[in-house]
Amino acid sequence: MTLPRASLILVVLGSMLAAPATGRADDVEQKAAICVACHGDKGVPINPNIPIIWGQNEGYIYLELRDLKLGNRKSDVMGPIAATLEKQDMIDLAAYFAAKPWPELEQPSPPRDVVKRAEQAINAAVCQSCHLDHWQGNSTTPRVGGQQHEYLRATMAAFRDGTRANNPWMTALLKTYSDQDIDALAAYLAAAQ
Amino acid sequence: MGTLRRALMAAATTAGAAALTIGGLAGSAGAQEVTTGILWGNMNTVTQDLLNRAADDGNNFLMTHGNYHQTRFYPNRQINTLNVRHLHPAWIFQTDVMESMETAPVVINGVMYVTTSFDHVYALNARTGEQIWEYKHKMGPITTYCCGPNNRGVAAYGDMIYVGTLDSKLVALEAKTGKLVWQSQIADPELGYSETMAPTAVDGKILIGTTGGEYGIRGFVKAFDAKTGKLLWTFNTTAENSQGVWATTDATGRDLHRDIAAEKAAYAKNGDPYKTLGGGVWQNPSVDLATRRIYFVVGNPSPDLDGAPRPGDNLYTDSLVSVDLDTGKYVCHFQYVPHDLWDMDAVSATVLVDVKDKDGNVVPGVLHGEKTGHIYVNSRKDCSLIRFSEAMVPQENMWTLPTKEGARMLPGANGGVEWSPMATDPNLGLVYAVNLHQPMNYFVESAPYPSGKLWLGGAFKTIPTEEQWGNVTAVDYNTGKIRWQVKTQQPMIGGIMATAGGLVFTGEGNGLFKAYDSATGAELWRFQAGAGVNAPPSSYTVDGKQYVVVAAGGNTQMDYKRGNNVIAFTLP
Ligand code: HEC
Ligand code: HEC
Repeated sequence: MTLPRASLILVVLGSMLAAPATGRADDVEQKAAICVACHGDKGVPINPNIPIIWGQNEGYIYLELRDLKLGNRKSDVMGPIAATLEKQDMIDLAAYFAAKPWPELEQPSPPRDVVKRAEQAINAAVCQSCHLDHWQGNSTTPRVGGQQHEYLRATMAAFRDGTRANNPWMTALLKTYSDQDIDALAAYLAAAQ
Repeated sequence: MGTLRRALMAAATTAGAAALTIGGLAGSAGAQEVTTGILWGNMNTVTQDLLNRAADDGNNFLMTHGNYHQTRFYPNRQINTLNVRHLHPAWIFQTDVMESMETAPVVINGVMYVTTSFDHVYALNARTGEQIWEYKHKMGPITTYCCGPNNRGVAAYGDMIYVGTLDSKLVALEAKTGKLVWQSQIADPELGYSETMAPTAVDGKILIGTTGGEYGIRGFVKAFDAKTGKLLWTFNTTAENSQGVWATTDATGRDLHRDIAAEKAAYAKNGDPYKTLGGGVWQNPSVDLATRRIYFVVGNPSPDLDGAPRPGDNLYTDSLVSVDLDTGKYVCHFQYVPHDLWDMDAVSATVLVDVKDKDGNVVPGVLHGEKTGHIYVNSRKDCSLIRFSEAMVPQENMWTLPTKEGARMLPGANGGVEWSPMATDPNLGLVYAVNLHQPMNYFVESAPYPSGKLWLGGAFKTIPTEEQWGNVTAVDYNTGKIRWQVKTQQPMIGGIMATAGGLVFTGEGNGLFKAYDSATGAELWRFQAGAGVNAPPSSYTVDGKQYVVVAAGGNTQMDYKRGNNVIAFTLP
């Protein structure tokens, strides 16, 4: 995934990450300040490729940071950032962002035929049995309702072709879907509240 | 274990701390008879002697499966075949959590302890259903569990109540107040460990296993010090030499279609897979105090459907295991399904009864209802097989290998018997099990170990065009023959209880809670609970009055209608 402004931002980050740590709470604020550069200072990401992490589930944020650091989930952008984090940083950042309100992006509902296609795909796999009735997830299962449209599409496609390899179950599941299904699911979930 | 379709976790919204302490109540018990006549005397302390005699205790229900032998046979006959038709609700208690209930109520001197999904614990007045206290576990950020945020109940010992939690902790509470005394981390939830089973308390030890067979854990049973929470011993349920004897058939002699040469080559090349081999333990061990041994069963290997990363018999998955109560040292084992590729594992609680061996001699036996649909009768001495019962559910294409396209086999992956505990009637020589019939296709899809993430190695899917149903089955454990069988509308999950009144009680996903004549299977009574009755019933007696109690909270795994009720029944 290419990000137009990523390289520029990373330069700025380098200096911020090197800043000396003070107390734990300050420390989290300081570490979180880095994230804001992309994930947004009111929780609205600066770019459609970047996921919302404000109000995301705590266990899930932690596990993703862990996987990004381990390289189980590959990302040219997030990988190097996660690599600088210690386990305690990840735990603190997860708690910090999980406690923030989820930003409502008010993404438009897709047309009827797309909704129908998405609903068929959802019913076949009972996605809500894990992501829950209102798509808000719990603990280590992510909230997907209202997530960035373009990010959802890209990450589901990445699961399917194996480039996002940190959850074989989601990969196996999405392998049973076509491009059109994934487009429909992304549009549907983005609009779901 | 579980067929993972419904890891549903409804956000459990709860009111503020309901810290109604019993301290105030107990102090004025005499003055406030009407609302607080809960405790008689100071008989709250659960002594070892009381627990040892649980099987003959006609007042209490001291552990989730009644007694150390886990017979789920309640010795009081006040409610019986003649009067059960008059049974009616005495009270209904509503918990704060509207989600799957698998709790088996424990009752001690008029106080009942029940648990809910997301690990709330309640102490209730067993006569009135009034709440005495509620404990809400402060859940850690990471929880990983396959089959719903369930909890199957508490253990009581001394002045404390013990419960396992989804974030893999063992928690000790003051029985009088629900106040937290200590908590111990059992294992790392990040690696897929979680607690849904009830602990077992014996001789100053709290025994507990773990879930996580769907996540590449290394399973175990651990013993903790009841007073301090200190770990005393650990028995790992996957052996460091897990290859076993390269068995080509299961315990019933059916061909497993293994490619032993290929497995041996993989084993030589990659080494023993024991570190991520799974082997969860879903139910309480039974305890034989005479020999100081415990007996439990071990669940499926990880990944569930893909044998490639785990050559060998995968000991001790899908096995009966006995270990020494005091040291946790291995005594004996018996594997039901070597190198399981279908999640046909062992999850229901073991039951200790005396059985006739092949020569007609009465010997100490251990019963287990397996997902294969058979009840296995083994010797307690060396774990060897004495007999297995007739199949309680249809079996087809066993053991056809899972494929990329999906291969049909019966039973489906929820098995003939799930975690649901069985009951026995020693007078009739019968064991009662609740069964599922759910045709499924088995798919295999290889993936490397995903560091504590769901690792099924494929999928099991129900076949929408095929009918599903359930059974209540009574089996003569001295012959293995089915004595009677009753069909139910839906696959059964939850458990069963027998009483000296000639009855068995069990509930269904459609909300029906029924009593059957334990000798014949004739239905004698039913009640519509309004939500799935998918938890094991218990019985108790206070002020000379017998009650039957059961939770009606539905089930996540089977998607049975959720509720939040605990319902106690009695005679007019
Ligand atoms: C340079 C931009 C950038 C910065 C700075 C940044 N992120 Fe990210 N983040 C991304 C992008 C892009 C992705 C999506 C990666 C992918 O899927 O390939 C992402 C993904 C994530 C995810 C996964 C979310 C999900 O829904 O799966 C988490 C969690 C996350 N970031 C947390 C953080 C934290 C915490 C920080 C600060 C320490 C941070 N990010 C800083 C760009 C950034
Ligand atoms: C068995 C439970 C389960 C089911 C069923 C399930 N998911 Fe997931 N899903 C997860 C988990 C757990 C994750 C987190 C993946 C990881 O480990 O990084 C996830 C991740 C996702 C993500 C990525 C979210 C993010 O922020 O990156 C999307 C999108 C998603 N699922 C959509 C779906 C859809 C659509 C379906 C149905 C077609 C579905 N899921 C079915 C458990 C499930």
